[in-house]
Amino acid sequence: MAAFMEDALVEARRARDAGEVPVGCVFVHNDKVIARGGNEVNVHRNATRHAEFICIDATLAYCREKRLPARQVFSEISVVVTVEPCIMCSAALHTLAVKEIIYGCENDRFGGKTVIDVAAVVGQRINITGGVRSEEAMALLKEFYKGDNPAAPPVAKKKK
Amino acid sequence: MDNNGSTDILSPPAAKKVKTQPPDDSLDIKAVLSDEYKKDITLIQVHSSQVETKQQLQAVIQELAQKLPHFQHLKRVHDRSVLICPTADIKDTLEQHLKLHKISDNVLEALCRNVHVVQVPASCARLRVQYEQMIKYWPCKFHPDKYAESLHNGSNFTASQRAFHKRMAQLLRSLSLDVNGGQPVGICVDPRNPSIVAIAAGGSSGSSHQHCAMWLVDHVARSQRGGAWQTQLQFVEDEPSTTSTLRGLPRLYYDYLQQQEACQDLQFGAELPRRGEQPSAVDQQADNLSKYGPYLCTGYDVYLLREPCLMCAMALVHSRVKRIFFLEQSDDGALATSFQLHSVKELNHHYEVFQFTT
Repeated sequence: MAAFMEDALVEARRARDAGEVPVGCVFVHNDKVIARGGNEVNVHRNATRHAEFICIDATLAYCREKRLPARQVFSEISVVVTVEPCIMCSAALHTLAVKEIIYGCENDRFGGKTVIDVAAVVGQRINITGGVRSEEAMALLKEFYKGDNPAAPPVAKKKK
Repeated sequence: MDNNGSTDILSPPAAKKVKTQPPDDSLDIKAVLSDEYKKDITLIQVHSSQVETKQQLQAVIQELAQKLPHFQHLKRVHDRSVLICPTADIKDTLEQHLKLHKISDNVLEALCRNVHVVQVPASCARLRVQYEQMIKYWPCKFHPDKYAESLHNGSNFTASQRAFHKRMAQLLRSLSLDVNGGQPVGICVDPRNPSIVAIAAGGSSGSSHQHCAMWLVDHVARSQRGGAWQTQLQFVEDEPSTTSTLRGLPRLYYDYLQQQEACQDLQFGAELPRRGEQPSAVDQQADNLSKYGPYLCTGYDVYLLREPCLMCAMALVHSRVKRIFFLEQSDDGALATSFQLHSVKELNHHYEVFQFTT
């Protein structure tokens, strides 16, 4: 399953080229990629358009098109994503009860495993594997954050 | 699934003649503060020792401050009794523990002569009510925080602000019942005017990922010429020369509110996103919304019928919402019921949370 990380990295690079935070994701179902995407926050002016959400929406469209039961399809999906899903995405993936999550580098700012235990709050455990090609995923983020996010206002200086 | 596209809500609601609603005095607004502001204090057991002479006491205090620096929130000495360390820290005996931390022989002797166990507050006082409880156990330090006190006692809102928040709560109820079949609704408000920026509804939580709060941030995005989700809802269109935008407002809800007599004085619309890079010439105290114009939900308040789940609560963190007000607790609510996301210090943004109570 880790072999699909290359597909996720392709999506991350695509997001970078579009001026988005370089995170990419693919959903794998029966050894086949059925949904792929990178962050689309800036283009939609919507902070929830993370790569995982692009894939969730694409999966629902896929199920509608193929007339497949979405709940069952999600339970058979391996989520392969370059960065540890944030709390929002992790909560969504736990609630949808996907089969497993495989991620690249950790997200120590708002990771859904590193910062809080999403599984405990949602009440659903799924298999999570981190550290797959994490250096490459991290390098993309570092490269991006060297420049400013063009859409974000400057960060306020901290008082005290 | 969401019912945003279902046909029954697309048919216009029966026009209702609503008389001017009296302010709902049965509603109150309570800040949902993190656990460190809880009224009940936590106590821990601590080894304490009565030291005999003043000279001994001085030496003891000096060494303890260096080698066992516990209890920053407490006075270390009270009536010649000195706090040594939590009983939970001791593995074998107190004497061995002190030796392990290289306490000198004479201080060790002075400390071990008259040891007893006391209960003291486990953490520092954030609010005066906590402080007053704590000093019954042991003298402690306290730095009053005026703003935290005002959140605690409700004096943070003026009477007119409070009245506006309650109106929004009533609006949530009537929008849900009259236009949305009792399903969750959310309202996003620019508190500067105040003006309604966006309204959204969603299916019951757990039905998919398209919850009410997720729709709401997407409708706010529409007011900034963004938005990702397809919906069959029609949105209000702007006049060409407008200086604010109604694009975050579905026609259905906007028309409903326009028909309500009680809502005639409500303002609608969002500031348009600014093009220029330069912040407008406002004073330094102004928030980022005033300085830079709309960006995601920066500076906006969000009113929700139901307490948001963890996914939605984090979506509102990402969206940089200023304050969340909710009316009903949810079993999977992540602001009060199953979790308190806004009290997680590691996050890069923190909103304030208020609950309407009856």
